[in-house]
Amino acid sequence: MDEDERARLAEFVGSRTPALMRVAYLLTGDRNAAEDLFQSALARTIPKWETIRHADPEGYLRVVMYREQLSWWRRLRRRRETPLHPADEPVGADPSGGSDVRLAMRAALRQLPPAQRTVVVLRYYEDLPEARVAELLGCSVGTVRSRTHRAVQRLRELLPEIELLEVRR
Amino acid sequence: MIDPLESLIRSTLTDLAEEAPIVHDQLNRAERRVRNRRRATVTMGAVGTLAAILIAAPIALAASGSDGPPPAVPSPAGPAAVPDPSNAPPGVPSRPNPPATGPLPAISNEPGPPGVPGRPDQPAPPGVPGQPGQPGPNTGGAPGVPAPPTSPTIKPSPSGPIAVPSPAR
Repeated sequence: MDEDERARLAEFVGSRTPALMRVAYLLTGDRNAAEDLFQSALARTIPKWETIRHADPEGYLRVVMYREQLSWWRRLRRRRETPLHPADEPVGADPSGGSDVRLAMRAALRQLPPAQRTVVVLRYYEDLPEARVAELLGCSVGTVRSRTHRAVQRLRELLPEIELLEVRR
Repeated sequence: MIDPLESLIRSTLTDLAEEAPIVHDQLNRAERRVRNRRRATVTMGAVGTLAAILIAAPIALAASGSDGPPPAVPSPAGPAAVPDPSNAPPGVPSRPNPPATGPLPAISNEPGPPGVPGRPDQPAPPGVPGQPGQPGPNTGGAPGVPAPPTSPTIKPSPSGPIAVPSPAR
């Protein structure tokens, strides 16, 4: 890779890192894991830079992140890690000024398995339709539907007070 | 109609995304990962090739070491030689045919082995001595008929008279 290409790559990484790190953090729910996921995806993107730079490098990098998050090897490595702290919560006030329900929802989202959490992020944060999610993850639309349904069902089970909230409304 | 749970998921994810860590210098770390991955790939390839050679070389040597069949196995190359009584070597008795098939082969008609030299104490009958030649004027005259092989031959002296073999010897 020559100097010009490397300068373009550095510019791309510098400009898109905050947005991509947000997605990585939502996918993993952990700061260190988010950084590791982003670096791993970037390491897979760099060798392909000359072929994808004219197309959609950010889309490529996102797809690599989504699939890397679901990969079997990464899951195996994650299982071997032992977290030093039970939760990676930032110390300080909740910027959302959230209620207990929101805090409970954060904890519940963290308990979802990677496949279901990835689908939830793509459907409710990225606002992608089911067909697009299926295309990005390399699976069928039915799989996306079933994963979304199971994720929502699991969140309802973890947050029984949500039902009370809906009834009150 | 928007599900309250879905709206809660969206708002929680948006809040969570704002808490994503801010990272710097991701490109250099990712490039280091690329180098390490490439090095690991090359190393693993070399190790795999070496292991394959170490496993396959003894097997290949063992397979190519013995081209022919083992010594105990008869060679399937040519037909088995049929014993021929006429070509039997001297001293080897020919195999008789099965008794039910017919008369025994007439071994006496076949030429026997080379003659056994006569015993020295029983000399063969001497040949008829030739008449003493009457030496011609020009030649030394033909010698007598040589005795059989059992009787010693006396070489005539070129200068002396022709010796007649003695029948006593």
